[in-house]
Amino acid sequence: MNSLVLLILIIAGGALLSYFGHKINKILGNITVFAVALIIPIYWFTQVDFTETVSFTVSGFHMELGYNMYGKLFSMIVMILSPLALIYAIGYMKDQKKLATFYFSFLFSILGMTGILMSRDFVSLFIFWEIMTWSSYLLVIFLGKDVQKTGIKYMVFSAIGAYAMLMAIVIIYKNTGSMMLSDYFGSFAGFTLQTKLLTGILLLLGFAVKSAVMPLHVWAPGAYSNTPMAYTSVFSGALSKMGIYGLGFVVVNLFAQANLEIVGYVLAWMGAITAVLATFSAVFQHDAKKLLAYSSIAQLGYIVTGIGIGTELSIMAGLYLAVLHAAFKGVLFMVVGAVERQAGTTDMNVVSGLARKMPFTFFTALIAIIALAGIPPLGGFVGKWMLYESLINNSNFLMVIMIFLSSTAAFLYCFKFLFGLFLGQQEPEFDHVKEASPVMIIPMLLLSVFLLVTGAYPGIVFKYVAEGMTNLGFHDVNWQMSVLTNAWGDSVNVQHVYLSVVVVFVAFLIFITWRGYKHSTKISTKDISSSGEMIKPEDNMTYAMDFYKPFQRVLQPILKWKINKYYEDFGKGLEALFDFMRRIYTGNGQTYAVYVIIFLAILLIFSKSIFGY
Amino acid sequence: MEGIGYKILGAVLTTILAFVVGMFYGGFSRKIIARIQNRVGPPVWQNFLDVLKLLFKKTSVRYGLMHHFAPLWMITMSITTLMFVPVLNDGLFFSNLNFSGDIIFLLYIMVFGSLGMALGAGSTGNPNSAIGVSRGLTQMVGFEIPWVMALVALMIQYKTTSVTGLMEVQSQSGTWLMFSSPFAFIAALLAMPGMFRYSPFDIVGAPAELASGPISEFGGKYLSTMMTSGSIFAFVKLTLYVDLFMGGASNLIVLVLKTFTLYMYPVLWGAVSARFRTEQSVRYFWGWPTFFGFIALIYAAF
Repeated sequence: MNSLVLLILIIAGGALLSYFGHKINKILGNITVFAVALIIPIYWFTQVDFTETVSFTVSGFHMELGYNMYGKLFSMIVMILSPLALIYAIGYMKDQKKLATFYFSFLFSILGMTGILMSRDFVSLFIFWEIMTWSSYLLVIFLGKDVQKTGIKYMVFSAIGAYAMLMAIVIIYKNTGSMMLSDYFGSFAGFTLQTKLLTGILLLLGFAVKSAVMPLHVWAPGAYSNTPMAYTSVFSGALSKMGIYGLGFVVVNLFAQANLEIVGYVLAWMGAITAVLATFSAVFQHDAKKLLAYSSIAQLGYIVTGIGIGTELSIMAGLYLAVLHAAFKGVLFMVVGAVERQAGTTDMNVVSGLARKMPFTFFTALIAIIALAGIPPLGGFVGKWMLYESLINNSNFLMVIMIFLSSTAAFLYCFKFLFGLFLGQQEPEFDHVKEASPVMIIPMLLLSVFLLVTGAYPGIVFKYVAEGMTNLGFHDVNWQMSVLTNAWGDSVNVQHVYLSVVVVFVAFLIFITWRGYKHSTKISTKDISSSGEMIKPEDNMTYAMDFYKPFQRVLQPILKWKINKYYEDFGKGLEALFDFMRRIYTGNGQTYAVYVIIFLAILLIFSKSIFGY
Repeated sequence: MEGIGYKILGAVLTTILAFVVGMFYGGFSRKIIARIQNRVGPPVWQNFLDVLKLLFKKTSVRYGLMHHFAPLWMITMSITTLMFVPVLNDGLFFSNLNFSGDIIFLLYIMVFGSLGMALGAGSTGNPNSAIGVSRGLTQMVGFEIPWVMALVALMIQYKTTSVTGLMEVQSQSGTWLMFSSPFAFIAALLAMPGMFRYSPFDIVGAPAELASGPISEFGGKYLSTMMTSGSIFAFVKLTLYVDLFMGGASNLIVLVLKTFTLYMYPVLWGAVSARFRTEQSVRYFWGWPTFFGFIALIYAAF
């Protein structure tokens, strides 16, 4: 049997098995989920033949499935992150109800993503896209929190994206007579400018919704923070990358080939603006989930900028960051989930000082945050570096400043995240907190190891990125295992950086620990120097509320301006409009009779000009 | 010039040089500030005595690993940055890892220490430390913007992103970049006091408000490591400015002269000003320095 069909069957079968397993009892269900989480990646990495294709014809539409290297890169994100998140979910969802639905939707969204990445025609792309959207929608409303607001927002924006895509597909079919992606790419140059822009931009719109580009990001903060965290790590890590996948081939394969770089450029600007504004929003959140949600939007902004610029280095930066973002955001959402489960809340004004209680969780959070902030020597720096250099090489100086502003301000929320949850004073109300279960810790640790390794050997990711880029039409993509080079020939050797950091750190670690560490006593966080003021053990001295008040004062003029408000006003406007419509459609038969009579009267009066007699 | 032993020797010597010079600068600045305030002031080697005294003090308390690591992050950052910044022109002195990093890398590695320190300070549970960190990070967003604008202007104008490349540009043309790209220099210079945290930008330590802020729970070896790191880092920052804008230095005496002149600017400014509030500080940096940064970018691009 064809390995791709089998892959889809395995995932769909896994979804059904875990559904029925959980219907029978929890243990059986968990074992099934665990087995499925192992089988899918093992099958994908060992058995799937990436040269194979499947084609079939359904009611006159020719459909074809088959991997290309660009899709394979994104599939790797899905295939590594989702199983880890599934395993994590076994621990995280232990006390939840309706697990059968949860795992069913979870696995179906994996199916959707897998399908999207191997679709070679628009019909299957659209079908899988909708499978993904619907299954993720079921998970967004799974906990039943704020369904009215977040659920509807997510649905409306997904629908806007899907209809835009559908419209594009119809126009493409009308113009080319084929549903194949390759036919569209091939005949794109021959279209009129209008058709080019219309189809391309409609497709971009569809993809941009999923990658939460401003101003289409409104659904994201709520959806990311209301979904069970086990799924959010996939939602933000892998599912949002489907949008990036689409943006990538539309910008590079279509617009850049047709000398319409301006579209990519506009997209890049939108990404940069997204990055800045979402970062500013993230800084002032006090719920760790919301903070991460906004931070995801900002990080996706960087990726979109990289893709939009469209040079070799910037695409590489974008794709590399896409992979890295999946890893560190995956970890961070899992961390928040662990904290939520163990401490009961993720409000950073309430929780504090968990580092001593949850050391492993803290360690993984630390690694992920360092990677997110882009600080050397971890992997995140590599992506940031490439993005900056590609912008500088292109003389996009304003965009560099925007991105830099965003990532400097990102340090603020990075610190706040770690400080709010893990540092600060230990409070007696959190004395009962214990480390999360190993099922949850191990996936986080595995992803952290990946982040540590990419710091010194980013080449292991570059290899696949370069393959994917060859598929996008770049020749001889230049990459080295641990030396980064920009278009002007300036380079950074990350191995030297790693070496220097490790050597100095270890040397001084010995120096500072030797004679002294043993003799010092470990004291509680309540035992602080307070300039003579008496502090009782029950006094909570943690400074967490309004942590960045001064910064808020600086940004006051900008923060007033919120896109969400405009959408809400628009929504209110629509409501008023429908209210008016309701007055016309009263539901009373006599009123309708009057309408019919009026209509006939109008016809009679104007019949001369309408019908000609 | 080969051999791992030679390289290690170079790294150690560079570090010692940076430490000694940085320490003396600290001593001089204390003396100068004292004289401005009509005091006698401590001797110039006072900082050495402080570090030594702290080194031999017993460390009596610790708050766990993050607290223990905080000074290590700082010193790792200082020394690593030092390794990547050329001390003298033409590789006359030990070149260390000068060719393995560029300006963007330096910008990022320079943040590494402060964040590590911030985590250590946060883990102590002292509210003053947390307030200090919150202020420090906010101020960083302030001064990094004009500073980066200046650097991006240089990079775009001379089509290189490495420090050595920019130094080569200066030695070939014979003029310092502070004259050939004056606006970038002005922006960088206006942003500079934020990095050195003298008044009016000493909002992080703020002795009278925050009881020295983030470092308030560190003593003994911890504090001595931090002071060492601080003096090395001061030297690195000054050397970087000299390398970028003032043509580097061909020998150590020239280097000391140039860096000391530059160093006096934040010190003297600090001696006669009162402390800003955090938002005032950020507004300052996003005012004129950023304006000059924009001019520099436009100057570089066209």
